[in-house]
Formats: sequence, structure tokens, C-alpha cells
Amino acid sequence: MFASISSAVLFGAEGQPVNVEVHVDKGLPAFNVVGLPDESVRESRDRVRAAVMSSGASWPRHRITVNLAPSRGRKTGSGLDLAIAIGVLVAGGSIPIESVRNLAFIGELGLDGSLRPVPGVAPMAGALGDAELVVPIGSALEARVVALGRTRPAAHLREVIEALMGDLPWPDREPEPLPVADEPVSDLSEVRGQPLARRALEIAAAGAHHMLLIGPPGAGKTMLATRLRGLLPLLGRKQALEATMVHSAAGAPLPPSGLVQRAPFRAPHHSSSAAALIGGGSHSLRPGEISLAHGGVLFLDEIAEFAPKVLNGLRQPLEDGTVRIDRSRMHAELPANVLLVGAMNPCPCGGGAPGACQCGDAALNRYVQRISGPLLDRFDLRVNVNRPAVDDLLDDQPGESTAVVAARVAAARDLAWMRQGGVNSELVPAHLEQFAPLESSARLLVRHEIEHDRLSGRGYHRVRRVARTIADLRGEPSEVVLEQDVAMALRMRASIGRPSAIGRVA
Amino acid sequence: MIPSGGFVAALAGFDQMTIARLKWLLAERTPEQAFAMATGALAVSKPVASLFSRYPDLAARWRAEGKRHTPERSWQRCVDAGVAVVMPGDTQFPAQLLDDPRCPAALFVRGDLDVLDARRVGIVGTRNATQRGRETASEFGYELAVAGVVVVSGLARGIDGAAHRGALAVEGSRPVAIVGNGPDRPYPRQHADLWAAVAERGALISEWPPGTQPDAFRFPLRNRILAALVEVVVVVESRERGGSLITAREAAERGVEVLAIPGSLHSRASAGTNQLLRDGATPATDVTDVLVALGLDQRRAGRARFDSRPRPRDEELSLLEACRGEPRTIEGLLLLFDMSIAETAMGLARLERGGWLRETGGWFEAVDQWADLA
Ligand SMILES: [Zn+2]
Repeated sequence: MFASISSAVLFGAEGQPVNVEVHVDKGLPAFNVVGLPDESVRESRDRVRAAVMSSGASWPRHRITVNLAPSRGRKTGSGLDLAIAIGVLVAGGSIPIESVRNLAFIGELGLDGSLRPVPGVAPMAGALGDAELVVPIGSALEARVVALGRTRPAAHLREVIEALMGDLPWPDREPEPLPVADEPVSDLSEVRGQPLARRALEIAAAGAHHMLLIGPPGAGKTMLATRLRGLLPLLGRKQALEATMVHSAAGAPLPPSGLVQRAPFRAPHHSSSAAALIGGGSHSLRPGEISLAHGGVLFLDEIAEFAPKVLNGLRQPLEDGTVRIDRSRMHAELPANVLLVGAMNPCPCGGGAPGACQCGDAALNRYVQRISGPLLDRFDLRVNVNRPAVDDLLDDQPGESTAVVAARVAAARDLAWMRQGGVNSELVPAHLEQFAPLESSARLLVRHEIEHDRLSGRGYHRVRRVARTIADLRGEPSEVVLEQDVAMALRMRASIGRPSAIGRVA
Repeated sequence: MIPSGGFVAALAGFDQMTIARLKWLLAERTPEQAFAMATGALAVSKPVASLFSRYPDLAARWRAEGKRHTPERSWQRCVDAGVAVVMPGDTQFPAQLLDDPRCPAALFVRGDLDVLDARRVGIVGTRNATQRGRETASEFGYELAVAGVVVVSGLARGIDGAAHRGALAVEGSRPVAIVGNGPDRPYPRQHADLWAAVAERGALISEWPPGTQPDAFRFPLRNRILAALVEVVVVVESRERGGSLITAREAAERGVEVLAIPGSLHSRASAGTNQLLRDGATPATDVTDVLVALGLDQRRAGRARFDSRPRPRDEELSLLEACRGEPRTIEGLLLLFDMSIAETAMGLARLERGGWLRETGGWFEAVDQWADLA
């Protein structure tokens, strides 16, 4: 007897449909799985067999061959267990073949027959079209967010067998609520003082400008960066689905709704490998932190301490908003549209007021070189963050709340969308004159910087993009960027290391 | 025939050569003989024999060094770099150094040592200077040069460079620099223009031959030469354990008067100078104090520089005044005035554009008319 059961596997953050083909024929009892199975698929043989026995069904005493089609590509994960078990029972004649028509099965089996959730159910469900989907109850919510067809949450293999044999109705259990992701978002009002840095957060959120925070230890760079999350708009439907797929694929916690809607915030440690940050790795193709931050903030604290190779790997994804992974016979694309926030000390000793730095020239140069060049170019905003003044810490007046600032951010984003159909950080030089013209006094200010060798060509475009966002945040639709907007933008281009005698080029 | 300066230059460039060792080699020997002794071609003198016996590897090391630093090549380097080798027996050798307890064995000089016949003031200070400190150094350098005084400094980053730039801004001035590495190797590299200008107009002096790297240990050594060559030392800014305090001590030991510029109690860059003042150094609040210390007529010729900057007004003036006493951040300024962050940023941008303020690392410092030289 022969059976073909629909299931899916995960590749990167994409699901790929798999047909589990099972042959049961006369011969010595045996159980083989072919179709490039990896270690975990082979292990599933033992789980499947034990689970079937535990469910009270009979295991065919014949030669059983399982083929995973298409045979191309490496099958990964334990999510095929349920489909294999059902295939064996159908091919062995225990379950009528008509009952599995237009059904798909995803889930890992325990030895006792229990159904266990696996990572990546959301993208897998997305790959299965409108099939009715049998999933572990722990995966039901994320499956429902994506699946086009009906989902059938089940707790045990026995329930599935009974429903397929028509003995009992589908259990259709209530989906288990997901473990709560880190939902409470810290509020901006908790930041005391720091008016310049607060302003920078608002500008970063409104224009989607990558931001580098430069300040001594204890200046509150991390506290500020975490507040950026609440300022970003909720993800749109498409981006939310993409983010959910990535979270599901990585086995990262999902919010109670199952859909990632709030901008993610990821803060990988500076010892992270390229695989952990960008994704890939030898064969599992787990999404990296940059994809988990899709639609939100990727925060790299102590950015100068990351391995240069790892930072270099960020360049292409930042450019394209996508991570591309090529393996011998497979290509995966993972979404990676992030707002990058870096934080670093101004110099190895921490710096401070003028004259406080004690670093030698050589040490300082080595430090500066770690974060110079193409990656540094990506930061439209470079902000000096100082320890808050004592008066500010004593002041009980809370600053503006996240909600107030987020409303301004949303309005500014709307202005940019209406004007140029995108965020200001994506304004290319050719469009600056059209979308961000300068009033004449603003032009004088910029020209002075250039004439004094304190503004490079790239820095010039950065200042103009940022000034456009600052103008949008004023709230009054203003075609022209004013002198005050440029003056503020000029405060957002701190340099690293010691300025040269002529000042600084940024 | 290679001049004997080539032999000295070669020897001084040897690995593990110190001033004391060089002097032992040259004691009662010609440079040619000293080179032959050091490289094993000639029987060694008594002090050198004892040196070799204490450091067993040294003889072999120097034999190898003699192949690397040949007198021919070393001399050619001096010629190429326009460097003269001057030894205590030579007529040009600065008389101030002859009776010094730690007289150099040789000097490698670009420029003209005759400039040391004029009145001489050393201006020294920290490399990590504040804007204000650099401006003061430039002002003193300029005013002293106007008064015809030779400004002597170390060409380092910070105070040194600013003092030299101030002095060089005066037409016909002849500043002197004492450097800690080879006179052909501008260090820091940003000061290459200053090195060239000092060598061209005054004198650039080193104890080390062309090609010598700027190793950390050489800098304290050059401070003693600077202290010995001047009549007055002015310390503009110094850390609590800064190298300029070494210069001040070297000066005091030689009976050279030390002046220090009083600074803010809160500024790290003035911790050392304030300590000098507590220890009895003379406060210098303007150049007149230095001229008095030199015994010069303190009525200065009216060659004041013209300040062409447009005067700030209203809020801008308030912002500027606030940054005069000490550096301020934009956050600090927002606490002082009832201005929005946009207005403040605008005022600061205009003051920067007008040349009244300079920003470093988020801190704003008032800039005086000496800023372009600082
Ligand atoms: Zn430092």
C-alpha cells in the first residue's frame, strides 16, 4: 500500500512543502527513511514507532519505506514526525486514505504519542496553501496567523487517529496561549534630562535613520536605545507576517496574538558570531539577529568590540534590507529591514570634557579604525551622549512620554510618505533638491561647514536627510528645510576619536 | 672621506644605544675610533670594556648594528635631511649645554643654532590641551615673538604646537624646537608643516640621528635639553603627572624660572599647573609676566592682531559668555537659559560659523582671536 501525506520543512524563514511518501510492502519488517534525511529525521523513526504503539494503533509488520519528496534539499527538524506516523498508518491500512485528502500535518511526536510544537510552524503553514492543517496546540496560534485553510490543533496522536478514522470528532482544542514575549515597553518619560539624545531618538524613529550613540560609560546609551522601540510605528500587515515567520523559524517567543506587530528590539552581545548576527550557519540556516529585528531595532552596544568580520557582514543586509544565504543547492532570503543603533565610547578611556581624554595616539587610532569606513557611513545620526547633568537627575519633571513623541513620529512619517513615498533615510542625493530644498540661510550654514573642511560630500547628504526629518517633525508641512533644522542636524554628527587641528570631517 | 659626524650618527642610531653609552664610547676617542670600538674593529677603552662585560650580548648586537648603520649611510641620511651633527667640541654647540650635568653627546640640528644667542623662553604643556589652553599658548608664542624673544618648545600635539604656531605667525621670528625623535621625521605627522617652518626659520634640535622613531622613552630626555636651553619656562596646561612637570623640575634644578598659567580647579588639564603654583611657581596671567621674568621692558610694541569677527548679540552673546568660563554641552546650556533646543542649536551653529565657538565631542568652548593659530 502507498500513501502520500502533506507536510512542510523549514529553510531559513521560509517553509517548503514536503510530501511524505510511505510504502508498505511484503518483506522482512524494516523501517527506512530516504530523501536526504539529516540526523533529526533519522531519530524520528524511533519516536514515530513508539508514538504509534503508545496510541494503541498497530505497527505494520512489513517493510516500510518513507521517501521525503522532493528529494532535493536537506530536510531539517522534527516537524515531519506526525506526517510520517499518519503515512505509515494509512499505507498500512489502519486509516482510510480518503480521510487524509486535503489535510497537512506538522508536529513532533513524543514517545508517548503526545504532539509537540516545533519552530517555524508559521512559515511552514504559509507554504501549505489552503490545506486543512493539523498542528500541535502549542503551535496553533502562529499557524492560524498565517494559514489560509482551517487549523486543527491536537494534543495527542491518538486524537488525530480517532478523528481520521471517524470514531470521534476533531478535538479542535483551544490554542495554547503563547509564552509572553517581552511585551512591556519602557517609556521615554523615564529618561531624565538628555534633551539632545531624546531628540535624536525621535529623529531616528521618524526618518528611519541609523544612529550611533557616542558617550562615556554610564551616560545611559542602552537606556536610550531601548526607548526607541516604542517610538517606531506598529508593523504593517506584510512586515508583521515576515517578522512572525522569522520569529517562528528561530523559535523566538511570539506575542500573545501570535503576530509580531510591535517593532522588535534585538541587542546581541558583541561576542556574537557572524552566523548569530546575520544568520546562516552550517546547515540549520537559523535566522540571525538582524532578521529577528526586522521592522524594528538592531542595537549593537559596544559596537567597536564586535569582530570586524561580523560588522562587515552587516553591510549587504543593511543595503538591501535582506539577508541572502546561498548553500550548494539552496538559496534563502531572510528579511532584514532594521533600524541600526550602535553605541560606543568616544575613546578607550571613556573621554569626557575637553582635555579629559588620556588615550595615546596609537591606541586611539586603533580604536577609531575599528568602526570607520563603510559601516560608519551608514549612520545618518551620530550623537554625543553625556552623563546627565546632576540638576536634571534631581528634577522631578518627567520628560515627554513615549506616546506623545510617537505621535509626532507617526505624523512626520506620514509627511514623508505623502511627499516621496518612503522614509527620509532612503532619500538619494539626486532627490534632495526636489524633496528637501534648503532656505537660503540654511544653505549658508552648510556651505560654511564645507568651506572649512568640516563636512565631506557624504556628510553633506547625511545632514540634509536628517534636516529633512527634523523639518517634518516640526509638524507644519513645510516644503523648505529651515536654518534651524540644519543647525540641529549639525549637532547630530559627532566624531569618534580626537578631532584634527582643522576640526572634523563628518 | 666620511666626516666624523657620520660615525656619530651611525653610533647614535644603534639599537640599545643610550646617551650615557654614547658618551662612554666617545670619551677620549674620536668618533671614528668610537665606531671601531663599538663594532669590534678596535680594542675597547676601559669604560666600554666594563660596559661589554656587564651586558654580554651587547658587543655582538652592536657588531651587527654596525653593518646596518654604516657611517656612509648615516652620513648620507644627514645630508639628505639637511641635518648637521654638532658635538660639544664644536664652536656651534650651545654653550648653555656645555656645563650641564647631563650634556648630550651630540646634537642633530636642522637650521641655525645661532638663534640661541637671543632671549629664550620655553613654552610647554600637555598634548591633551583644551581649546583655551592652546589659544593661550598661541597668544604667548605670538606676543613673545613680537617682543623678539625666541620661543622654544617641543612641537608636540596640543600646547607645544600652538605655541610654535603663534610664534611663527610673527614675521621674522625664529622659533626653536627640541624634538624626541629623528629631526627628519615629523611627529605627530599633522605637524609636518610646523617642523618644516621651524627648521627653515629657526632651529630644530634632536639628540637622535635621522631615522629615529618617536619612542616614548625619548621624550622625557628631550625635556632636560629644553630646560637647559631657556631662561624661563612657561607651563600652560599640564596634567597632575604630565611630562611638562618634568620639564618644570628640570628647569627648577637648573635655576631656570618656572611660570605657570592658573587654570580652572575643575579642569584636569590644569591640575599640574595649579600644583606648580602651589609649589611656588610664578603665576603668568599674561605675556607681561613673562617679559618681567626675563627682565625685559614690558611695554610692548603695538602689534596687536586685529579681531575681524562679527560681534554676536542677544541670545548668542549669552551662549558665548556661558562657554567662556568652561566648556559646555548643549544639555548644560539648556539648563542655563530658557531657550528651546532648536533655538540653542541655531545660536551655537551661528557662533561656530562666526568663529566664536568650537565644538569637540559635544562640548563647546569659546574661541578667542588666537584660535586660528592654536
Ligand atoms: Zn580617551
